[in-house]
Amino acid sequence: MSVERIRKMESLAALSLCTFAALFGLFWLVFILGDVLINGIGALNLSLFVNDPAPPGVEGGGLRNAFTGQLIITFFATLIGVPVGILGGTFLAEYARGKNIARLISILSDIMVSVPSIVVGAFVYAMLVKPLGHFSGWAGAVALAVIMIPVVLRTTEDMLTLVPWTLREAAFALGAPYYKVIIQVAYRGAASGILTGILLAIARIVGETAPLLFTSFNNAFFSLKMNEPIASLTVTVFQYAMGPYEIWHKQAWAASFVITIFVLMLTILGRIIIKWKYGKS
Amino acid sequence: MEIRKELNPVRSSSMNEQAVSNKSLSLTKETSNGVKVEVKGLNFFYSGNIHAIKNIALPIYKNTVTALIGPSGCGKTTFLRCLNRMHDLYPGNRYEGEIWMDGKNILASDIDLIRLRSNVGMVFQKPTPFPMSIFDNIAFGLKLNGIKNKGELAARIEKALKDAALWDETKSRLHESAHALSGGQQQRLCIARAIAVEPEVILMDEPCSALDPIATAKIEDLITELKKGYTVVIVTHNMQQAARVSEHTGFFMMGELVEFDTTQKIFTTPSNKMTEDYITGRFG
Repeated sequence: MSVERIRKMESLAALSLCTFAALFGLFWLVFILGDVLINGIGALNLSLFVNDPAPPGVEGGGLRNAFTGQLIITFFATLIGVPVGILGGTFLAEYARGKNIARLISILSDIMVSVPSIVVGAFVYAMLVKPLGHFSGWAGAVALAVIMIPVVLRTTEDMLTLVPWTLREAAFALGAPYYKVIIQVAYRGAASGILTGILLAIARIVGETAPLLFTSFNNAFFSLKMNEPIASLTVTVFQYAMGPYEIWHKQAWAASFVITIFVLMLTILGRIIIKWKYGKS
Repeated sequence: MEIRKELNPVRSSSMNEQAVSNKSLSLTKETSNGVKVEVKGLNFFYSGNIHAIKNIALPIYKNTVTALIGPSGCGKTTFLRCLNRMHDLYPGNRYEGEIWMDGKNILASDIDLIRLRSNVGMVFQKPTPFPMSIFDNIAFGLKLNGIKNKGELAARIEKALKDAALWDETKSRLHESAHALSGGQQQRLCIARAIAVEPEVILMDEPCSALDPIATAKIEDLITELKKGYTVVIVTHNMQQAARVSEHTGFFMMGELVEFDTTQKIFTTPSNKMTEDYITGRFG
């Protein structure tokens, strides 16, 4: 066999393997999404959004408590996680640039990103729930914020590092103090990237169940009190899917569908922002 | 000149010639404008004790253009960045010697860097427009200097753009992104941004190296125009450019100033053999 022929065979083998692996991954993704879509759309109705749960086993009722609970927890998690993440990322990329401490924190956040979320849940349980003696929405928000912080922090750091250093020098050369250089020049240059990071971080926490199980727990009733256990979609899906009633299963499908669409929208929005910013040049 | 004796003995022959060229320098002093910046025995070390600038002494005359030429890595840019203490942004860098500007040693530790830098503007090799509108780019420096009044801002921005010969091209699109401008326009915007705060000295680090010949010609015309109001120091790799725009030229070589004189003398009858070789293209 000629060398050329061997090369072509090798190339074909590599291509086939890669294609097979990609199709295998894609198959399950489409399968899961399709399943959620088919079962979810069928179970969707208006009462899902406007009614609170009916007593177990009784037809009707909705998940208003879980939708509002999820929104409130996510909102407060974002409120805690985003500023800490952005400021931390700014410290790494600007004030501690090139220093060992920055490298150390960077590596630790990368590890934090891949820590199983149930570990975060257990941690917040030990720090907040146990000492206070009860589950609470705050504990849930803190747990989600802890998951969010390393994501936002690393994105901010990476995006700020991408802003050319000469741009900062140009601002310094005009007599600008460092904080103005960061706020007015570096943040502007990195804005769309940081925004995308925040959206993806929100998308990440919206789908989390494990950390909420130990922290905000669940609540069968409508509640806006962050000091008490509060319902969330993911925990409700978990509970309802395990439950014995047909109506619970249906509502779990519908809730899964809503979460999936929400995450999909956030991700697409993130992509659009990146394209809009970097696609032009 | 006493400090020079401590220098590398291998280069002592060139040092003697340096003394000769400095003599002729005092002649030009009498006929020229006043001295704006006087550099005395300047040494500069990058972190890790890398000796990048060795015993440099030269005057920079008011309302003239001083060109710094020399092969890559010879210390021209490093020297330029001493003049607005840009090196202070990075830890471990160290200056020795004195740079006198308006009766003050700007290397003194009590110098306010923010004030120094608003007094000594800088234009970089690559255009560095901020990611904001043309208007905001120039307003950035003005606002730093405490100008908040909208009318005054607009007037100062118009003047700066006119002085940088960019007004006609941008007056209808002041609030568009500065990134939409061409490379040459961006560089003129950076010049406008630098002169808007009315510095006394403008440092230019190869301002034309990323531009085409037409844009370069525009910037050169601008430099000639600028020296009426400002003192300009320009680093350039383009010998013709140095000859065209400058009154004085300094030739740098391995961190040392080999020769400093009027541009005419440097380009016609340089005192130093190395300068002659470099200018005639025999090396570098």
